[in-house]
Amino acid sequence: MTEGARILVVDDEPQLTRVLRTGLKSRGYDVRVAADGLSGFEIFNDWHPNLVITDLAMPNMDGLELCRRLRSISQVPIIILSAKGEERIKVEALDVGADDFVTKPFGIDELLARLRAALRRSALQPPTQTTQTVLDSGDFHVDLETRSVTVAGKEVHLTPKEFDLLVYFIKHSGKVLTHRTLLAAVWGGDYVEQDQYLRVFVGNLRKKLENNPASPRYILTEPWVGYRFDPIE
Amino acid sequence: MLSDHDQKWIGYVVAGISVALTTTVLKPLGTHINATTVALALLLNVLFIATRWGSLPALFASVVAMLCFNFFFLPPFGTLTIAAPDNWIALTAFLATAITAGQLSARAKRRAEEAESGRQEIERLYAELRDAFERASHAEALRQSEKLKSALLDAVTHDLRTPLTSIKASITTLLDEAKERFDGDAPVILDHESRIEMMEVIDQESDRLNRFIGGLIELARIEAGELQLRRHWGSIDDILSTTLERAATITKDHTIEFEIESELPVVRVDERAVSEVVYTLIENATKYSPPGTVIRLIAQRAAEGVIRMAVEDQGPGIPSHLRKRVFDKFFRAIRDGDIGKDEPSGSGMGLAIAKGIIEAHGGEIWIEPGTDDKGVRVVFTLPIGDDEAEPMRTRVQRVTLTK
Repeated sequence: MTEGARILVVDDEPQLTRVLRTGLKSRGYDVRVAADGLSGFEIFNDWHPNLVITDLAMPNMDGLELCRRLRSISQVPIIILSAKGEERIKVEALDVGADDFVTKPFGIDELLARLRAALRRSALQPPTQTTQTVLDSGDFHVDLETRSVTVAGKEVHLTPKEFDLLVYFIKHSGKVLTHRTLLAAVWGGDYVEQDQYLRVFVGNLRKKLENNPASPRYILTEPWVGYRFDPIE
Repeated sequence: MLSDHDQKWIGYVVAGISVALTTTVLKPLGTHINATTVALALLLNVLFIATRWGSLPALFASVVAMLCFNFFFLPPFGTLTIAAPDNWIALTAFLATAITAGQLSARAKRRAEEAESGRQEIERLYAELRDAFERASHAEALRQSEKLKSALLDAVTHDLRTPLTSIKASITTLLDEAKERFDGDAPVILDHESRIEMMEVIDQESDRLNRFIGGLIELARIEAGELQLRRHWGSIDDILSTTLERAATITKDHTIEFEIESELPVVRVDERAVSEVVYTLIENATKYSPPGTVIRLIAQRAAEGVIRMAVEDQGPGIPSHLRKRVFDKFFRAIRDGDIGKDEPSGSGMGLAIAKGIIEAHGGEIWIEPGTDDKGVRVVFTLPIGDDEAEPMRTRVQRVTLTK
């Protein structure tokens, strides 16, 4: 599926869009570039790309606003190109719906790996969330009706909140989830500042799910940002 | 410094001596003066002792004075007998005066001490407050300067990282192809043209990095006051033609017009540095004005001994509130959110360096609107040169710039 996918690259740095266009084309992707958020959004509406790669600091609608607008009309995977010093705005972009980020300067392989993962996820995503009763993802089997969980064939017992958190992680496997997103999704909007809740529950989940909670393989920490769930050890 | 105790003793001694002295002086006058005068004179002694040494020495003085008065001046003379009742009144007056004056003086002394200690307290508080204020403003200044530093650092890292990102992305693409790496994707297929393009990006972006670092070094020199001007006598025409030759590639889409006064005097300047200034101004004009428009170079005699030069474009202009700020290092109207069009962004160092160079020559640089209020005119002045300096002699001059 990833081959021939349409990729929109939005960055105001012409040399970088030049490189990405050529680099991605050489891998068989169909690529278009835009120099600012506004023209990126226009191209998106005309062309319906499978994935958007966007810079954050740009004239005429920055990356954050672009993410916000794209999310209001589409579930297209979005990868942010961010630089050190832009942590705050990067987290904001992830909060409003970006899927992943790559920190500048990056090697093309890292970008490609994240691009493939994001495309895979969006291909796996069922078009509408129908009444699903069972989640099967990697080592995880979750029955939403009986609220039972098995990890690599072993049953684990979770408290109701731990269960909700794990289900949210599984449903958003591979995506970078900010602290705010997780807190709002599992505890509700009033708890978005309560990072310590999250730390405790993630710690408990790791103890129950991971073979070695000290170096987790399923629930990965994205420093200063949040967590990323990988269902395959 | 005498202790309070010693002070008191001195009081007693002085009391004794002063009463004795008064008595000795007044006694020989005998009946020439009356008893009331003597009593008043003695009373003055008591008063003096009371104000100076307090109640007890005063009491002592009053007793001694009363005894002397009684013994030497009241009949019967030579005895301590008190015959008349008005002499009892005199004695009471001595005692009352001594006690009242002593207490008054003690109270006044206490008040003075209280006032003194109050003053000292206020002084101490004031000093503490001033220290606290100084510490606070120092901390604030430090915080501001830290903030500025981190903003500058952000700007510098952005400018270093941007070309690095393009270089890294290009080189990893080329490496993947060279190593025939698959890595989950289709194999890399780069045609000849794409390969050249990647290498061009690497080449151009390395140059950009190098230019940026050169600019940083130049700025650091200017700020440290270590800009070394190599001044020679030369002509403005030469400087302009050298600069235009160098700028030929960037000016090809614009029309250059000249407004050069004939027979301009020679100037004693660092030609390379001034040429750099003119180049920066021309480069900015090409960047910020649409292709096909006119860029005007102006050079004329201004005031006595001063040449005035300017580069004028027909671009969108610079709002008046930014005309000074564009000379701040790393200031960029676009990035700093004031113009906000999709205009090119430079390093934010060109004008800061230009200002450093012009000021090192003793000139000035500023921005004004162009002809008919359109576009930008960047103007700078250059003093023709020191009168005492011999033409054609090279001298290295060290300057100190203040911001």
